[in-house]
Amino acid sequence: MNWRSSKLVLSLTLLSLFAMFSMALVSAQEQTEVGTPRATTLIVDQLGGRINNPTQTNPYQAGTHMSAGLHQLVYSTLWEINTATGEQFPALAAEMPEALNDDYTSFRVTLRDGLRWSDGEPITTADMAFNIDMILNTPEFPYSGFLSQVIDNYEVVDDLTIILNLKRSEPRLAYTLGVHIWGDNFRMVPKHIWENEDPATFQNYPPVASGPYTMTDVDPNGNWFLYTKREDWQHTDVGQIFGEPGPEYVLFRFYGTEERRIIAGIQNQLDIFTDISPEAWDILRDGNPNARAWHENFPWANFDDPCERGIIFANSQEPWDNQNVRWAMALATDIKSVGLATFAGILRVSPLAVPPVQVIHDAFHKPMRDWMTEFAFEDGYQPFDPNYAVDIAAILAEQGIEGMPEDEEALVDLFGVGWWKHDPAKATEMLQAEGFTLQDGAWHKPDGSPWQITINSPSNFEVQSQRLAFAVADNWRDFGIDATVQQMDGGTFWSNYNNGTFDAGSYWPGCGALPDSWDLLDAFWHKRHIVPIGQPAPGNAMRYDSDALSGILDQIAPLPSDHPDTIPLLTEFEKQFIVERPWLPMFGTSKFVPVVTTYWDGLPTADNFYEGPWWWWSLFKYHMPFIQPKSDG
Amino acid sequence: MGALNRRLKIGLAILAVFIILGGILPFFSPEDPRDWIRHPRNLPPSAEHLLGTTNLGQDTFWLLSYATQNSLFIGLFVAFFATLIGVFAGLAAGFIGGITDRVITLLADVFIVVPSLPILILMSSLLQGRASLLLISIVLILFNWPWPARQMRSIALSMRERQFVNTARFSGSGTFTILAEEIVPHIFSWAMANFVNTVLVAIATESGLAVIGLSSLEEATLGTTIYWALQHQALLGRRWWWIGSPVVAIILLFIGLFLISTGISSLSAERRGHGDA
Amino acid sequence: MQFAKFVVTRIIAYVLVIWIGITVVFFVPRFMPSDPVESMLGRIMSQGAYMEAEQVEAMRATLTQAFGLEGSLADQYFGFLHRTFVTREFGPSLSMFPTPVNELIGRALPWTLGLLLASTIIAWVVGNAIGLLAGYKSRWISSRTLEIIAILVYPIPYYITALILIILFIHINPIFPLFFSVRGEAWSWEFISSAVYNSVLPALSIVIVGFGWWVLSMKALASSISEEDFVYFAKLKGAGEGRIMTAYVLRNAILPQVTVLALQIGAIFNGALIAEILFSYPGLGTMTYNAVLQADYNLLMGTITISIIAVATSTLIIDLLYPVFDPRIRQR
Repeated sequence: MNWRSSKLVLSLTLLSLFAMFSMALVSAQEQTEVGTPRATTLIVDQLGGRINNPTQTNPYQAGTHMSAGLHQLVYSTLWEINTATGEQFPALAAEMPEALNDDYTSFRVTLRDGLRWSDGEPITTADMAFNIDMILNTPEFPYSGFLSQVIDNYEVVDDLTIILNLKRSEPRLAYTLGVHIWGDNFRMVPKHIWENEDPATFQNYPPVASGPYTMTDVDPNGNWFLYTKREDWQHTDVGQIFGEPGPEYVLFRFYGTEERRIIAGIQNQLDIFTDISPEAWDILRDGNPNARAWHENFPWANFDDPCERGIIFANSQEPWDNQNVRWAMALATDIKSVGLATFAGILRVSPLAVPPVQVIHDAFHKPMRDWMTEFAFEDGYQPFDPNYAVDIAAILAEQGIEGMPEDEEALVDLFGVGWWKHDPAKATEMLQAEGFTLQDGAWHKPDGSPWQITINSPSNFEVQSQRLAFAVADNWRDFGIDATVQQMDGGTFWSNYNNGTFDAGSYWPGCGALPDSWDLLDAFWHKRHIVPIGQPAPGNAMRYDSDALSGILDQIAPLPSDHPDTIPLLTEFEKQFIVERPWLPMFGTSKFVPVVTTYWDGLPTADNFYEGPWWWWSLFKYHMPFIQPKSDG
Repeated sequence: MGALNRRLKIGLAILAVFIILGGILPFFSPEDPRDWIRHPRNLPPSAEHLLGTTNLGQDTFWLLSYATQNSLFIGLFVAFFATLIGVFAGLAAGFIGGITDRVITLLADVFIVVPSLPILILMSSLLQGRASLLLISIVLILFNWPWPARQMRSIALSMRERQFVNTARFSGSGTFTILAEEIVPHIFSWAMANFVNTVLVAIATESGLAVIGLSSLEEATLGTTIYWALQHQALLGRRWWWIGSPVVAIILLFIGLFLISTGISSLSAERRGHGDA
Repeated sequence: MQFAKFVVTRIIAYVLVIWIGITVVFFVPRFMPSDPVESMLGRIMSQGAYMEAEQVEAMRATLTQAFGLEGSLADQYFGFLHRTFVTREFGPSLSMFPTPVNELIGRALPWTLGLLLASTIIAWVVGNAIGLLAGYKSRWISSRTLEIIAILVYPIPYYITALILIILFIHINPIFPLFFSVRGEAWSWEFISSAVYNSVLPALSIVIVGFGWWVLSMKALASSISEEDFVYFAKLKGAGEGRIMTAYVLRNAILPQVTVLALQIGAIFNGALIAEILFSYPGLGTMTYNAVLQADYNLLMGTITISIIAVATSTLIIDLLYPVFDPRIRQR
């Protein structure tokens, strides 16, 4: 029959095509598609897809997309962060803010000497004063409301010195007006250009700004953005602190679906990837010998993304208002199977309210490990399983994974300090003590109705949380609870979160990049943020009302980050958090953020760890002086 | 003639395979194939796992059988009701005319003009991701009946003028008799082609929704199976048993249905006495 | 005059269709649980931006006001109708605030129109020609082969066809660019050639998927018409094969196919949605999809309204062209 032979031809074609596909196709292109020399153009994966309004580069408007290079290369902030050292450092500012009084309401800020805008004009405090006035006087800017709650007035002392008087105490001013995670909204623009424009509607294209690169060309369809190194890079903070940026050009490029990005990487048309899935990494690794993940070998992924993933509960609703029920869910969860189903075990567990990123892992998780092992319920039961790292390593070794460390200490560094035991018997006992009943293998609530749990999950974005939701639901179904996953688009997912209209959900209210993450813990857990269900919450979307946790947060609030009591008090918070169990953090975020080294030296990796692989953060500009073209390239 | 009947037989044989696979086998499944990490991941086909296992540790064969069941349900359910409603609405509009025609045409036009995929996407957000397969099917019927209706109406319009209808009308037959005796046999083969098409449109729309992650992803359908396989890069990772089985299933299913439809239309042609050699 | 009445009826129906369609589309998303302000905040937060609780609150208030989502549903509805039909502007995009929706649509619309018109017409002409041959000359080997090819490609899910095209013609045999990239000043030669070059594969995928149906339905029509008495008599009269095929079979089969072409315009918008996303094509489909995901009401209303008007208009035009194809209708 004809159709049968056609099918044969089709399958043969497919087979041969994939055989060829496995060969690395190194296309030695001289030029990029935008006409710049390939060897001096760094091509970066554009996070967040195509941008339909590519020439809207006003940094204060609500719908401006900052992550396609604008805040990474063009705008800069007063204070930046280095996630490798876990410290902030002055960027446009010359020093960290200097408090002028004991209640932290007045600060002296000095600007770095010799900085210039990209059109050559000097950057002075007049620009900073102009920015403050403009933001306060333009209520159309989303940032306006916030800044007006912070800044009362300013006094310009000289060209480089300004005194800020605040409306409230801000012991952490460098967090408030500088970068802690991702970026910050206070991105200065030049007075001499903006004073003649209506800031609410000004497009600001092409932008004149303070960063080491300028935006020189954009695709009208928003698929790419080209940035060119400033000739006067010496007059930028990046140049002053770290020296000359390596790449002449940086091209942010949106290639489309994951398949295309992988193919682009195999063809050496993409040097730096944002998130890809573990499966995609396997293919990229096979296809391009120059592809390199964060770690040279297993586990490849970077574990230092500043939010941890897990399951939250509607803590103000029954049965989640009962601490024993929340604990029972922890013991009903087989963390190893969840980890294997989510990201093939390439994850670091976290039992704490802060993520297991390296600096925090060293400051909290590891020091608290013995305390957690000893921790016991009132009946003496010890729920902690410190052997997670060793056990998961054994499972992975059985699956043929090679290159894992041998000793326990290194395994703990890799896979985490441990998690809660998988003990369905104890979970059953705890639930039955609370009046739950197990009938024909299915759990019923104390009122006799079947127990159903709905887990909200992101649909088709934030893949790790999506897969985690399915894996946990699968686990809980095995335990006898009718658990289902409800996938949602971003808008629905977040409005349910903020309005508290969820039962359980795969969210990530556990973030931080520095040891002092008081600001984030306060936003997630302080009871003063609680509003009734149905109203958008300004914080504490879980609606967890705990006097003990809020009390500890209040004690930390007035202390600056370097105060000797800050870390011990945060540790107290973590202990109380474990006792009360308001959510189930499970894993830090594993990011597969590979690079292709065909054209470049000095891209950051685990063994060249001057900075994390955060290409979508504003700190990307400080990678630039370390990234150099291959001399023979 | 013989060749055409052979087509019908082959088509029915293929359909029978799918009915066994999707209609009977799922009841004998040793497990719920939607569960994750039940087996080792990414096993190639073997005696124990006929089509291997997925990256999520599911048995691909049983997954396929569940998926076939759900997809067949969607396709047949949508096609049956959409064709039924469409044919009768279209014939009514064409033959009765007047107000009936206007109302039906207007309704049909509205559903044709409003693009269905954005509405389906909106509905799945509206229902917070709980859009059941039944609901997706009903929406698909809503958007698919106007097609046969419009076409039936124009066929009816042109047929009203044809000789054999006029003859029947002059000989005193009522509208219904004309419909039943003259028109229905005449349009039967077209209706079958439309039916087949609607089955495919329904399955394709569902998998289209699935590929952008908006179908009922916890259910196994041929579309969601492909979605999960693509999500886990089965195509670039060359895991053929996973990505290939739902794709081949869709292709075979269509070929089977198509052979049936041509077989039926040739049978009806024979019955009318114009046997196509 | 009969024909004038027919035209007037059709135009009234046209207006009604647009009004009902737009009303439905206006109200469905208003009942969505997702809120554009929350979506916007969520998007910013999921990028990893850190905001203090007060900052979130202040931003929420600012956004609600700026997006014009205050006031009752009725106010918003009449405001929307007024803007659509009187001032013809859809306000600012919510996810790309404050870029106007008109500007975004104006940029995307030509891409979609060009892609869909070209590929639909090619698919229709080629598909019907093959279908006619296959139906009328069903014993020819070549017509059977073509028919079988149509049957084979038709059922392959759209994105699989697209993916196979991508791998065949971009990766293995890099004839076409992997990634959408148009260069040059608008309407310069470089611009036009690169636009066409970039559109070939998306268009081809739509043609392949579309043409199978034309082949199959045309074949079914043509073969049933070939069995009609008048064809039989024409053969007896000694009319030539070619003349029978065009004057008798095609003439009678073409009317339903023209109808379906009119209807197809609406359905290909669905195809465009997936096609544009897969090929990173800068048209209305991708934009609609992003608007849904980001709960961007204004943009969503804009793109769907435009597509409703476009589809309704092309349906109207083809309906008014009916009499050209079938003069009998004129006398009704």
